[in-house]
Amino acid sequence: MASIILCPACDLVQRPAPPPQTARVRCARCRALLPRHQQARLDWAMALTVCALVFFVLGNTYPLVIVNMNGVNREATLVDAALGLSQQGFWVLCWLVLLTTVLAPLLQIGALLYLLAMLYFGRMAPGQRVIFRILTVVRSWTFVEVFMLGAVVALVRLAAFARVLPGIALVCCGLLMMTLAALSNMTSPSQFWRWVERRT
Amino acid sequence: MRAPTGKNLGLLLCLECQQVARARQAANPRCPRCHAPLHVRKPHSLALTATLLVLAAVLYIPANLLPVMYTRTLLDEESDTIMSGVLVLLQAGSWPIALLVFVASIVVPLLKIIALAVVWYAAWRGLPGRRLQRSELYRLVEFIGRWSMLDVYAISLLATLVQIQSFASIGVGWGALAFGSVVVLTLVAARTFDERLLWDEA
Repeated sequence: MASIILCPACDLVQRPAPPPQTARVRCARCRALLPRHQQARLDWAMALTVCALVFFVLGNTYPLVIVNMNGVNREATLVDAALGLSQQGFWVLCWLVLLTTVLAPLLQIGALLYLLAMLYFGRMAPGQRVIFRILTVVRSWTFVEVFMLGAVVALVRLAAFARVLPGIALVCCGLLMMTLAALSNMTSPSQFWRWVERRT
Repeated sequence: MRAPTGKNLGLLLCLECQQVARARQAANPRCPRCHAPLHVRKPHSLALTATLLVLAAVLYIPANLLPVMYTRTLLDEESDTIMSGVLVLLQAGSWPIALLVFVASIVVPLLKIIALAVVWYAAWRGLPGRRLQRSELYRLVEFIGRWSMLDVYAISLLATLVQIQSFASIGVGWGALAFGSVVVLTLVAARTFDERLLWDEA
């Protein structure tokens, strides 16, 4: 059934564009973007995943911002920002922030490392189907790029009555955001399953 | 003539991996490739979207009326709603940021609720015509949805950084919880909605 595709937005049956799809392909009826048949390389995806892991670790160990108020320095990491909410009794919000900025990227990187490494070494990855589906869900709840902008807003508000310094982690988060975006482009479901089919 | 859609031809699309499968008689068909459950249309799409949307619309009111943040200094205590937060930014002279927050926290959630309601009504009544516009409106909602989280993140950072040991402290208000709920509810409502319902019977 490889010769036809269904538009995910309007269910129209259509023929996929011939393989070297360099431009975006849209549905003939509803103009939705159709999954693209790209030729991504497995080793590049692996390398980017390791990159993402490095940025994630750095982004979570160093402070995001340092605030100097009346001679007192305060700094916060990504996790601190979430925990600050739970200290005030808003644990639901705390989990929301933790999930969308720390846990989701971590799960995403972990799942990709496992799946891609197993593929690379030509092994059957146990739980491959479940893990890839978890990856898809987790991807849609990763809001690192929104967090970046939120941090900028917070810095501007603080700058009114304190000296603020952006930390190293802010840069790492920016890099993590770009790496994750490139990765989800390279390891789209159709691409991933094509790799799997080629290996088996 | 009926349009050549998967539904009309007895084909199922896996929404998670885009695999096309032939609809079989099995009670709970699953994707042959990634084993995700397959449905002709997302199950209970209209009912779920409507419920989540109504909840979001109700919570939108406290989200905008209740303070999202308290600023305590030695001299006084101020409470900020989302709108007054925008005004604070405007007074600080950073109008691009003020505009950004205004759009992300006030315009976008309201636009999402209205747009989803319009699209939902069209899918419910099976309205013909202007399908393309509605489809594109829905895609816009899906695309901008996450950006409303911006204020939640900004508040979490502010509340963490400005604490009691310094001369001022910032506390979180119940409005923030209502606001966060609105954002999550509209995000989930957009995801439970099946865009293909807009095109059925075309």
